[in-house]
Formats: sequence, C-alpha cells, structure tokens
Amino acid sequence: MQPQFVDLPQGTLDLLILRTLSLQPMHGWAVSERIQQISSDVLRVQQGSLYPALHRLERRGWIKAHWGTSENNRKAKFYELTKAGRLQLEIERHAWEKLTAAIAQILETA
Amino acid sequence: MLHDILFRVRALFRRQSAETELDDELRFHFDHQVEKYVNSGMTKAEATRRARLEFGGEEQVKGECRDARGIGAFEILLMDFRYSLRSLLRSPVFSICAALTLALGIGANTAIFTVVNSVLLNPLPYPHPEELLAARKNDSLANLQDMQRQTTSFASSGGVNIEPMDFSGIGEPVRVHGAFMDAGLFQTLDVQPMLGRWISPSEDVKGGPRNVVLSYAFWRDFLSSDPQILGKAIRLSGNDFTVVGVMPRDFGLPEASPDVFVSLWTAYPSAAAERDVHFMHTYWRLKPGVILTQAQADLAQVDRRLAEQFPDSEKNRRTILVSLHERLVGNVRPALLVLFGAVGLVLLVSCANFAMLLMARGVARQRELMVRASLGASHRRLIEQRLTESTLLAIVGGAAGLVVAKLGTSLLLSLKPAALHRFQAFPMDARVFAFVFVISLLTGLVFGLLPATSATRNNIADALRENPNSTATAISRSFLQGFLITAEVAMALILLAGAGLLMKGFLHLRSVNPGFNPANVMTMYLQLPETRYPKIPSQTTFRRELLARLNALPGVTAAMITDLPLAGNYVGHRLVIDGRPAPEPGTEPEVQTLSVMGDYFHVMEIPLAAGRDFQNTDREGQPLVATVNQEFVREFFHGEDPIGKRIDWARQGEPHEWMTIIGVVGDVKHSGLNQPVDPAVYSLYSQNEEAWRRWMTLVIKTTAPSAPLVEEAKKQVWSLDSQIPVSSIQSMDDLLAESVAEQRFNLLLLAIFAALAVALAAVGIYGMIAYRVNRRTHEIGVYMALGAQPRDVLRLVMKDGIKLVLRGIALGVVGAIVFTRLMVNLLFEVKPTDPGTLTAVALLLAAVAVLACYIPARRALSIHPVTALRCE
Repeated sequence: MQPQFVDLPQGTLDLLILRTLSLQPMHGWAVSERIQQISSDVLRVQQGSLYPALHRLERRGWIKAHWGTSENNRKAKFYELTKAGRLQLEIERHAWEKLTAAIAQILETA
Repeated sequence: MLHDILFRVRALFRRQSAETELDDELRFHFDHQVEKYVNSGMTKAEATRRARLEFGGEEQVKGECRDARGIGAFEILLMDFRYSLRSLLRSPVFSICAALTLALGIGANTAIFTVVNSVLLNPLPYPHPEELLAARKNDSLANLQDMQRQTTSFASSGGVNIEPMDFSGIGEPVRVHGAFMDAGLFQTLDVQPMLGRWISPSEDVKGGPRNVVLSYAFWRDFLSSDPQILGKAIRLSGNDFTVVGVMPRDFGLPEASPDVFVSLWTAYPSAAAERDVHFMHTYWRLKPGVILTQAQADLAQVDRRLAEQFPDSEKNRRTILVSLHERLVGNVRPALLVLFGAVGLVLLVSCANFAMLLMARGVARQRELMVRASLGASHRRLIEQRLTESTLLAIVGGAAGLVVAKLGTSLLLSLKPAALHRFQAFPMDARVFAFVFVISLLTGLVFGLLPATSATRNNIADALRENPNSTATAISRSFLQGFLITAEVAMALILLAGAGLLMKGFLHLRSVNPGFNPANVMTMYLQLPETRYPKIPSQTTFRRELLARLNALPGVTAAMITDLPLAGNYVGHRLVIDGRPAPEPGTEPEVQTLSVMGDYFHVMEIPLAAGRDFQNTDREGQPLVATVNQEFVREFFHGEDPIGKRIDWARQGEPHEWMTIIGVVGDVKHSGLNQPVDPAVYSLYSQNEEAWRRWMTLVIKTTAPSAPLVEEAKKQVWSLDSQIPVSSIQSMDDLLAESVAEQRFNLLLLAIFAALAVALAAVGIYGMIAYRVNRRTHEIGVYMALGAQPRDVLRLVMKDGIKLVLRGIALGVVGAIVFTRLMVNLLFEVKPTDPGTLTAVALLLAAVAVLACYIPARRALSIHPVTALRCE
C-alpha cells in the first residue's frame, strides 16, 4: 500500500536539506531517504526538486560538494554544510518557528 | 554575490565536466533507488520500472539543475551559436552574400571613420594639446616678441617660417626645408629632442651661434643616423651649422614637417629685424586655467599699442587666435563630415539589403522554424536563435569589413589629398576596432530583428500545411520589404545627387580658363644662396646666363618667374599710383607682385591685351617698366588707359622710382581655379631692387620628351654653379591637375559611394522581384493558362517594384534637397539644388531600377503554365 504523502510547503525544502546536512555530509539519495525516514514517510522529496535544490544551495555557497565513496563503494557526490549554510539554517529555522507559532496561534484562537 | 558570479563563471568553463558530474550524480541516485527496491523484495525489472517512473523526465531534471546552477543563459547562447554556425555553413551562398554586403558597407564606413578618427578625433601629438593656439594671420618676429612680453595669458609662444635651404654635404646639392624659427617654438610645442637639446633663447639672438636641430628623417637619410652627430657641423645654404639636437621620429611642426630647425636670427637676420615682414606662423601655449577669450582680450590691448607705435606697418593689425586643432582641421572638416555622412548612407543601404536577405532566408526556412515551434520552442527562443544567426553574420561581415577598410585607407592615402598631407598612414586604433564591433553588433541585432519578428509570427498550422505564404504574414513581410526597397532607393538617390553635384562642380572647375596654356611646359625651382649671390648684379648675371644656355638648346624656349600660378606661393606689395593722392601710409591697396626674365608670357601663352611685351632692351640701367593684368586695370583704371601710367611700391622715406606700365596681359588664376584673380604687377628681375628675391621658377616650353630635358636643364644649372639644388620639377599640366586634387578626391569618393549604393539597391530590387515571381509562380501560371499576354504578366510582376522605386525616388529627391545643402562648401558654381543634376540622377536611378525589375520579371514569362499549376 502506498504511504500517505504530504506535499512540501513552498520554500521548506531548502530548510529540510540544510537541517539534514547539518548532521553529517551525505549524498543526494541519502538526503531524500533521511527526510523520508525521519518524517515517518510523510514527507517525500522527489528528485526532480531535490537535485535542482542541491545545486541551487551549492551556488549560493551554503553547501559544498565533493566526490567521495558511498557505503556501497561507489563514487558519489557528497554535500556538506558550509559556515554560511549553518548561519542560513539558523535564520530559516527561526523564521519557520515564528511562522508555525503564528499559524498555530491563529488556528487556536480564531 | 561574488561567490555566485565565480560559481557561474567556473560553471561556464567546466561545462563539460559539470555535465558528466550531473549525469553521474543522477545515475547514482537512480541505481541506489533500484537497489533499495530490490532489497525490499522486488525483481530487478520491477524495481527498475518503478524507479524510472518515480524519476520522471531525466532531461527535465537536468535542465532544472542547469538552471539552478545558473549556466542556462550561457549554455543557450553557445547552443544557438553552434546551431547558427551549422546552418550558415549549410547555405554558403546566402552566408557569403550577406556577409559581403555588410563587409562593403562596414568596410567603407570604417575606412572613412579611420580617417575621421586620425584627422578630427585624435589629439595633436604635443603635450597638453588643448592649451595650444595658432594665430590666423602671420606675424613678424618683433611683433611676436612684443606680444609675448606684454601679455600674461601665455606660457610661451613661438613663430616659424619654412624656407628652402641648400644642403650640400653629400653628392648632388639638395633643397631641404628649413624651419626658420625662434627659440620659443620648441618650448611652446614642448616635445623633447631625442638627442641633444633645443636651441636655447640665449642663442636665438642677433649674432648668435649657428646651431641646428635636425629632424629624425634628415638625420636618418642624410647623416646615416650618426649617433655621434652632436657637435658636428653640416653645411646649409653656404654656412656651417653645428648640430645641437635631433628631434624624435614622429615630431613635426603643426603645419609642416621641415628637415632642419634653425634660429631665424642666424639663418635670415635681415628678416628677423624687420617688424613689417609678417611671414611667421605663430603658435601659442596658454597658461593653465586661462581661456581663449581672456587671451584674446589680452592680445587686443597689445595690438592697439603696436598699431599706435608703428602706424606705418601695424595700423590695422588684429591678432585672432584659434585653437591649433581648429586651425589644422577646420578646412578639412566639412568635406570629411560630408563623406562620413555619405558613407553612413551606404551602410544603411547595405543593412537594408542584409535585412532583405535574412527575410528571404526566413521564408525558405519557414517549415524548419515551424517544426521547431511545434516541438515546443517558444516564439522568443526562435527569435533569439535567428538573432544569434544574424549577429554572427554581421560580425563576420564586420571582420571582412576590416579588410575592406584596410584596402580602402591605402587607396585613400594613395590619392594623397593635400589636406591630409600630415598623415603618412591612418592607423587602425582601438577606437576604430570598437567602431566596427559596435556597428556590426547593432547591424546584426537591429536589422536581424526586423525579419526575425516578421518570420516567426506565423501560424504553425499554416506552415505544416506547407503553405508558407499565409496571407497575414505575406502582407506584413511585403510591407517591410517595400519599406526597405523604398528607403534603399531614396538613399541611393541622395548619394547619386551628391556625386552628381560634385561632378558638375568639378567639370565647371576644370573648364575654368587658367589664363595660360599648360601644354608642354616643364617647370623647376631654384634658389640662389645668399652667401654667393648677395646683390642684384650677380643674381642677374646668373639668371641671364642660365636662360641663354637653355634657350640655346634646340626646340626650347625658357623663361623664369618668381612664383608660378597654382604653386601656392604669393608675394604682395602695397601700391601707389603716380599723380593720384597718396592714401594714408599703411592703407595703400595691396597687389600681387611677380618678377620675370625672358619671354615668360610667350612660354605660358598668356595673351597680351594692350600695349607691348617686355623686350630685351628693357633691362638694368634703362627706364623701369612693368606689365599689369586685366584685373589690375579693372580695379585701378576704370576705363582709363593704363599704358604710360606710373606706379611704385609704397615705401617710407625713400624717393619713388616709378615704373611705367607698358602692357596689359590676361588674368591668370594664380591662387586656384576656384579663386578670384588679384590685381598683379609683373616687373623685371633685372630691374629689381629686392635682392631677397633670390628664388626663381624656370618655365621651359618644348615638345621634346621631358626627362632628358630636365637632366639637360640641371646640367646647365650645375655648369654655372654646382651647389644649387634644382627642385619641384613638374610639368604645368601636373601642377594644374594637382590644384584640383582636393575636389577630385571628394568627387571620386562620393562617386564610389554612390555607385556602391546604386549597385546594392539594384541587387535589392532584383532580389525582391525575383522572390515575388517565385512566390507567385502558381498565380502567374493560372493567368497564362487563361491566356494572359507576356506584357500583362510583366506588368503584373513589375507593377509593385516600379511603384516602390518611384516612391523611393520621390523621397530621395526630397532628401537630396535637404541634405545636399550640407555640401555647399564643396561645390563650385553649382547650387546644391541644381534641378538639372537632380533630374539626371533621378532618371539614371530609375533606369537602373527598372532594369533591376525587368531582368527577374522576364523569368516569369518563361514559366510554363502546366508546371506552374503543378507546383502547389
């Protein structure tokens, strides 16, 4: 049976990728797997959005890439957070928390 | 931000490897996904299918990644570029035609721009050229020095007169150009010598040491670039001069490039002392921060003071300064700007042709474009793609244009217009290259955009139905085509009108009677050195003996005069007439004065209008005589008989020695065929009192070949004095031709441009009609099948073309009337709106245009109705 997927809200993919990579450097497939796992299969990142996002983050200088060897001994492109990326993660996390808090407040009181 | 740019640039250069990396990365993901499904129990095939489904469009993902990396725009440009290159190479005839059309237009423009750049735009080769001024009129050294002393506006000033000197150091004596100057000139121009030093102010005084500064060319050619030259002496006009400096290679005076520079005080002391010998060109350097009007006011008060102090010679003096740049280019500018404007029209015509070629190609490729459109290429992408193609073509055309321009400038130089004598070469500098690049780019973009938009605004369905001529687009395209043809014809007409006017003016000029017969007359210039011929008697002996020897040669008649007509030299004196109230000193009328010896009027075939010619008995010791020209009689003896009247030069404090007028001769155009004739007085060398007239020009009439004659004449000169250089050897015919070289130069260029424009316009018309005949083959076939006569068919296909041509001609006539006014300065006795010329060029252009319509239209007659009907 297909699990229930939820579409990612606009703009949150970057935050999730940054957060995921803040744990350790990993390749693209691992990033999507990790997001799926941690969200208990609720969030699912299509590679059609994952890779463009990775490349975009790389261009902004928030993550950097290097070629390494994967757990199954294949050449894979690993991404890791840069200093600027860490800062960006904090900014986005903060913004996200403010946003969800505000939305929660509205949902509770209104 | 910086990171972003660096990343993009790196991405651009690492395009290939980035592309492989992207492949690898996505492939890795895919494999991992398959592996995961296999591990979860799927078969390999099932897992692969599932992964592929999830994966979605691989190309799309890649495209988005590329976009995310920010290399999209570069990528696309590169792709378009490669695509354009391929498609241009596939149709070489079209590509060559288009590039060649532009190469001609751009090349001609670049050639003229190169000249404009060198002449009008480049700064003068002196430090701080903006501070340099020149006086409109010549002045004397004494005045110059007073003006410098009594003003505060100028950092320095200097004067110079170019005089011939004999250099007799090696082999044949040669005539060189000496700059007789004051020490201030070097300071004013402020160019340091390459070797040694300038002549210093302390040496530039009466009785100063004879020092000389050499030009680079003189040092190289006559002294074999002797590095030890400083301190050595060279012999100039009979005196030893010590070399104190050598100027750098590219140094020249603003209006001449003399060989040697000497102090006026040492080379020509008698002239240096005279306040009323106004013969120096003067140059001035403003103090920093002073402006021209201040300097002008500063000088005006000195002018007033000098006029009061020296009323005899300086009464009406008024020194007018202009910027040196203005002085040098002021009289070339109108012609150059007219030529530049003309060549700009040529460019527009070639651009119009270029646009039409692109349009025709667009039609031919319509299906290809439509197929691409139906496969998802956006309207914008198609236009971008075609713009890339037209820009690429334009840049190739521009590059080829550079070659055309290089040839063009060599051609211009070989025509050697006098106004450009300062230039040995017209270098193509960065500005010229920038000019070509910008012009090419603009041409490609603007003239590519016109047809590109009209060609893509089509209906895909139409194209696929194999009907490239859907009505709407055909109308918009034929409108554009009509507009381009009309514009081309109009511009060609304007150019033709300009060329026609110049031609007519030139013919007028050539038909002007110079007042003499140039046929079979050889001329050469001599100057007697002051050291050996200081007084009149020795000069007269030399001249008389030389003429006797020359006239003894078989079939030769020789005479001499101070200044030949059209040769550019002019000496004027103020005149008084015996028996008339003397005007206030300094306000006497000025006339041209010439000295002759021998049968000058006979040699030059200048007709005698009244009285008698000089005779052998008119000589020293005999009563002083003179002949005058008819203008002289008109000016001073209205209707009165001048023969027997007495005249003299205005002189101060000396009794008059009256010359009796014995004859009147015809007017001679001395200063140019398009210049008025001044009143002139011919007197005799032998009765001359002015020992400074040491120069003479031999005029030798002979039907014998000129080369041996010249050698013989030189031999005779050197048998009398081996130290005298013989120079300016030329026939009177050449001199006459040279005097209209400027006009011929303008005419030739404008004629070339007009011919180019007409040819391009004809090609454009031809192309348009051919294209329309092609497009209407079916229609014509139907007509012919229904029994239309050849005449009807011709009329059908030519009608539109002729209409456009006529509209273009009408527009061009209006344009010509507006624009040819700008050339009024270049025309001689022709009004810019000369109706004859306009009619003639309009008819000529109409004839060419009708021919250009007719040739392709005739092809319509050969259409076979059956084939035509089948071609749908």
